[in-house]
Amino acid sequence: MPPREGIYGLLAEFNTPGELVRATEEAHQAGYRRMECYTPYPVEEAAVALRFHKTRVPLVCLLGGLLGGTTAFLMETWISVWSYPLNIAGRPLFSWPAFIIPAYEWTILFAGLSAAYGMLALNGLPQLYHPLFNAPNFRDGASTDKFFLCLEAADPRFSIIESRAFLERFAPVSVVEVEL
Amino acid sequence: MSSAHEQHGEHGAQGHHGPQADHGPRALPASLNAPDVLLAWRRRALLVAAAFALLTLLFTSTHEGRNHIMRAYLMGYMTVFNFAGGALVLLMLQYVTGGKWGLLLRRPLEAMTRTLPLVALMVVPILVPFLGKHLYQWVLYPDAASTHNAYLNHLINQEQELTANFKRPMLNPHALVVESCIIFAVLLLFMVLLNRWSIERDADPASGTEPSYDRWRTRFENLSGPGILVYVILLTLGAIVWIKSLDVTWYSSIWGLQFLVAQGYAVLALSILSVILLSRYEPMKTLLRTTEQHDLGKLAFAFVMLNIYLCFAEFLIIWSGNIPDELPWYLNRIRGGWWYVCSLDFICHWLIPFCLLLSRDLKRNKRKMIWLTCFMIFARLVDMFWLIEPNFSDSAANLHIAGNIGMLAYITVPATVLALWSAYYMTQLMSRPLVCTNDPHLEEILEPEHAF
Repeated sequence: MPPREGIYGLLAEFNTPGELVRATEEAHQAGYRRMECYTPYPVEEAAVALRFHKTRVPLVCLLGGLLGGTTAFLMETWISVWSYPLNIAGRPLFSWPAFIIPAYEWTILFAGLSAAYGMLALNGLPQLYHPLFNAPNFRDGASTDKFFLCLEAADPRFSIIESRAFLERFAPVSVVEVEL
Repeated sequence: MSSAHEQHGEHGAQGHHGPQADHGPRALPASLNAPDVLLAWRRRALLVAAAFALLTLLFTSTHEGRNHIMRAYLMGYMTVFNFAGGALVLLMLQYVTGGKWGLLLRRPLEAMTRTLPLVALMVVPILVPFLGKHLYQWVLYPDAASTHNAYLNHLINQEQELTANFKRPMLNPHALVVESCIIFAVLLLFMVLLNRWSIERDADPASGTEPSYDRWRTRFENLSGPGILVYVILLTLGAIVWIKSLDVTWYSSIWGLQFLVAQGYAVLALSILSVILLSRYEPMKTLLRTTEQHDLGKLAFAFVMLNIYLCFAEFLIIWSGNIPDELPWYLNRIRGGWWYVCSLDFICHWLIPFCLLLSRDLKRNKRKMIWLTCFMIFARLVDMFWLIEPNFSDSAANLHIAGNIGMLAYITVPATVLALWSAYYMTQLMSRPLVCTNDPHLEEILEPEHAF
């Protein structure tokens, strides 16, 4: 793999979530789209400012549940009717009431697992490397008491000079270039 | 999480423009009284009650109509009892669990519990042997001699005779009156205490202070904890005596719990419907946030699940046991066209609400939740119909309308009872401010809403 060159983006550090949200909102108005907020705890307004809306986790969860329920039900049907038919108290081989509970359990199991793993997968996790950790202040502050806005270089609106000037209008603690 | 809230509050106060500019804490509306539109709604409910009562009168002229009126009345009575009693237990439940979800529901739930005197009055026709004999075999044949006579005349089978004699101490016309009186006396006592304290709590001179919050919270908790236990026991008694004893031979140990969950289902649907409809006007317009509506929707979803869980558990156990004592109850509810009603019950009660409530957007949408909660209340009626009518020996031949127009009493009578009850519920709703003020959660529901 050739060495990666250039920068990932510009990282602005703020002391309060309010400043972060304001900067994010204005960045959105200025036309930036490839950007991300990093906060030590969930800041709902930052998500609003990012226009972060929907994820596909619910869909993955639903599909997982349907898959689990169907699999269990069909498997029980196959076992009881074709693979190993047993006469249990003279009931029909296809005794669907008895199949419901395992099918239900599998629905929950598959839905739960697909929600958890689907969330990880859609988040791109596990991720062994992320350029942001090249910024020392990010390493120290992102999970304790600092609020970060990163304008990514992939954004067409991004310019190393103008974007820096734009971010500095919000009086951040610092604006650093993040290397790839 | 609390530090996060403080932070947000601070920023709202600093007056930043941006997304949270219109997200600052909102002011409590000047008037917390119920909107005047309730008067119009109540008038409409009374008109509906009158219209359906007239229709019912028409059915009294037919044989099947007379046959069905008492059964349909029992269905209507049980539905409104579920609302009033269920509201009482949900009210106590939200006192013991705490949380801001309950604050908005408190006054509507209190109003529902204050309909208990009306519901107590409504039980009277069922208690009168002259009318009750159309419902209960053990009222028609109140002693061993008449029961044996009925057996000799092939009106009942031997098992019914033996079971009726065995259960006589609990199931006889006098015990019915005593049991109903005990149930309502205790429920009314809890209702009066909870409602009186709720007003006293708001009028507390120390209102809005920590000691006042704590004192009232403890007081309500101490009453509600034992109250829930007492309620569940009384409800089990009521459900057995009023509904299950329609079939003297059958028994099921999950019966009371099933009614409890069904009450939660119905009351939650009705209270969500109430707050959403009220939120078209002040003060509920300010108070009902999408967050709380979403939470209530999730709770309703849990009840939808719990309800089918218990119903299916009962069915599965009886199906597995395969005992001639228990099976006929289900066979009567499956054979002779009842399979359609049974499927309809399952689809309306579980499948449709379950699939719809899975959606987050639907739970946050006012208009769609109005439709869904109305549908859930309708589903409760279908279920009650399925529980009541197949108890009677003529039920299998009854499931058609042609030449059996009196069957429609099952629509008109419960509609009359429900409409009357709703009118009274609205009267009660108008008698108090729509939100309790001496509660720390009030501040929370006035906080800015988090859209995500």
